[in-house]
Amino acid sequence: MASAALVLPPAAPPARPRVLLVGTALASAATFMAFAWMIGLYVSERSAVVSAGGTWLPDGSNIPLTPGNMAFATMLISGVSIWWAVESVGRNDRQMAYLALALSILLGAAVINATSFLYSQIDLPVASTPGALIYTITGAHIAMLGFAMVYAAVMVFRTLGGEYSGRDREGLVAAALFWYVTIAVHAVIWYAIYIVK
Amino acid sequence: MAVTETPPETVAAAGSATPAATRPAPTGLAAVLGSGDHKVIGRLYIVTSLLFGLATVVLGGLFAFESVDAATLEVFSSGSVLQSFSLFRLATVFLVAIPLVIGVAMAVVPLQVGAPAVAFPRAAAASYWAWLVGSLLFIASYLMDGGPGGTSGSGVNLWIASFGMVLVAILLASLCLATTVFALRTSGLSLARTPLFSWSVAVAAVLWLFTLPVLVATLVVSYVDHRHAGGVLGGNAALAPRVGWALRNPQVYVVAIPLLGFFADVLATTAKARLALPGAARAAIGGAGVVSFGAVLATNDASAVETPLVIAMGLAAVLPALLIAGLIGDLFRRGSFRLTTGAVYAVSSLLLVLVATGAGALGSIPALETAGTIYDIGVAHATLVAAVIAALGGVHWWATKIGRQGANESLGKLVPLVLLIGGLLVSAPHLVSGIAGEGIETSPDWTGGIEGLNYVVVAGSVVLLLGLLLAAASFLPLFKASDQSPRDPWEGQTLEWLSPSPPPIGNFDADLPTVTSAEPLVDLREEN
Repeated sequence: MASAALVLPPAAPPARPRVLLVGTALASAATFMAFAWMIGLYVSERSAVVSAGGTWLPDGSNIPLTPGNMAFATMLISGVSIWWAVESVGRNDRQMAYLALALSILLGAAVINATSFLYSQIDLPVASTPGALIYTITGAHIAMLGFAMVYAAVMVFRTLGGEYSGRDREGLVAAALFWYVTIAVHAVIWYAIYIVK
Repeated sequence: MAVTETPPETVAAAGSATPAATRPAPTGLAAVLGSGDHKVIGRLYIVTSLLFGLATVVLGGLFAFESVDAATLEVFSSGSVLQSFSLFRLATVFLVAIPLVIGVAMAVVPLQVGAPAVAFPRAAAASYWAWLVGSLLFIASYLMDGGPGGTSGSGVNLWIASFGMVLVAILLASLCLATTVFALRTSGLSLARTPLFSWSVAVAAVLWLFTLPVLVATLVVSYVDHRHAGGVLGGNAALAPRVGWALRNPQVYVVAIPLLGFFADVLATTAKARLALPGAARAAIGGAGVVSFGAVLATNDASAVETPLVIAMGLAAVLPALLIAGLIGDLFRRGSFRLTTGAVYAVSSLLLVLVATGAGALGSIPALETAGTIYDIGVAHATLVAAVIAALGGVHWWATKIGRQGANESLGKLVPLVLLIGGLLVSAPHLVSGIAGEGIETSPDWTGGIEGLNYVVVAGSVVLLLGLLLAAASFLPLFKASDQSPRDPWEGQTLEWLSPSPPPIGNFDADLPTVTSAEPLVDLREEN
């Protein structure tokens, strides 16, 4: 029996575990893997068609650059605003933190709006190989962005509730990390789908 | 409330240095349905996956019976045989082996790392319930004539969605387990001192987090393709080939990674000796993770199995198991031998892991032309049965922590031997058929296998079923309350044996000492 061990002096209090940050990092990596496979499939299917002498997008379909570029530019700007929020909480400047988080969520909504507008412009049937893949990949990214926005909103409410401050901003850093992975995925989509087509 | 928030019954324990075991545990249905306690969640995973395991072994036995003479015997109708076979193959991995291993890990890992709770307890509970609902819908989809080869559009859509739900649930559980090991270890317990079972669970969980999302993405694409795009990407016919990589080596080896840690922990305790070269053991387990990264086969290119990378992974997969076996041999050379039930389980499982990875290495040699044949099924069956043996061994070894008292010892010693025989009988014939068979005998489905050897598989299925029933019988004492359950029945080396049996909410009834080595309880005994 090992109960004799209980007479030993207690351990020093452990450092506060960064559970949420570690969990978010793992979840972000998992999400990135899913997108890596989908975009890999897109590139592989496109390459097969093009190398066989075919055209990738069906006749009459086109992916205009402007909405895709605007969506990506908006996404990049949201990267600044989400870091602004993290920095503001680090300086205990709550007003700025609320403003920055709200702006990030607003920019996220703008990206969804721009992508929806893009859908209305490309005239691409879903019942085609490029259509099925483009709608799946960009749709999954919108879902990811939606989750990132909800995550950031939860962190806003937690900050409002006083849970995070200059000493501990783990939740906000975790939300920002997921947000940056969302931007990274968007960057790959922007190049592989919107630019290369 | 976010799923990341800690539930009420564990928040005090998680946030305070003072153990909180004074709050009475919920009872009745509330203790099951509403609990975020990792022991309860682990028990639920174990019991449910065992029930699925019994049904899956029966299904496998029926397929083995049909394969004895596939031309005349019609156990399954020709319209449903492909669907039933896919149910059998997928259920062995995602409804039985992985959840069984997750169940044991969920119950044990927080105790081993000295954590008062699993990370994200609500998410852990959600993972079980999502897995259960997903599994039931997955089975229901087959009843609706869905699944690969199914003719019902709605049934196929439900199959894709429910399979995705099962995978997301497993991912959620993996996230909780990996985060527990990485972020909730007690004071002094560095990663280099983490018990090898917990370390191996973390490696497997990370592997699942890196590979199963690829399978989820495959299902998302398949769903859009099947439901909205009219099958331009292959539709229903592409479902089975697309998910096939998750059922063969090297991906299937991931479920065997926690076994390596289980062997080392249990046999070191049994030998009453510290493991030599623990860093090498840790590296071997990490290396097993590297060579099990099966997502490299998630491609439409069937020749991917013959690329140098995949061949090298297949050949190298046997090395971690050999290294662990060598370290265990050294333990018994230096230590003392005790015939514990855990040791019988561990050695039985280790033998089958060596068979599986050795056969996998042999099958990686392109000249043998075993890729895509029934040989792959033999390797997968050996791996999965090894995982089941080790997981059941885990239930037996940690019975006083998982249940209310220890399991039946005499019956327990018999179970792994029966399961080992059953595992060899269901896998070895497929391995032989894959190499020596000709024509349809090498087919990777119910039509394959050399006829005489298929009788052996039938017998193996019966033996496996018997083994599972015996295991269930040996675990019956776990459900009976006992006041005399010892904290440490095996003179263990790691922190879980400091917790009361059964452990309360919060896990420990006193402050834990600062850990200074990988075997803190051995240190404590030496100091006292």
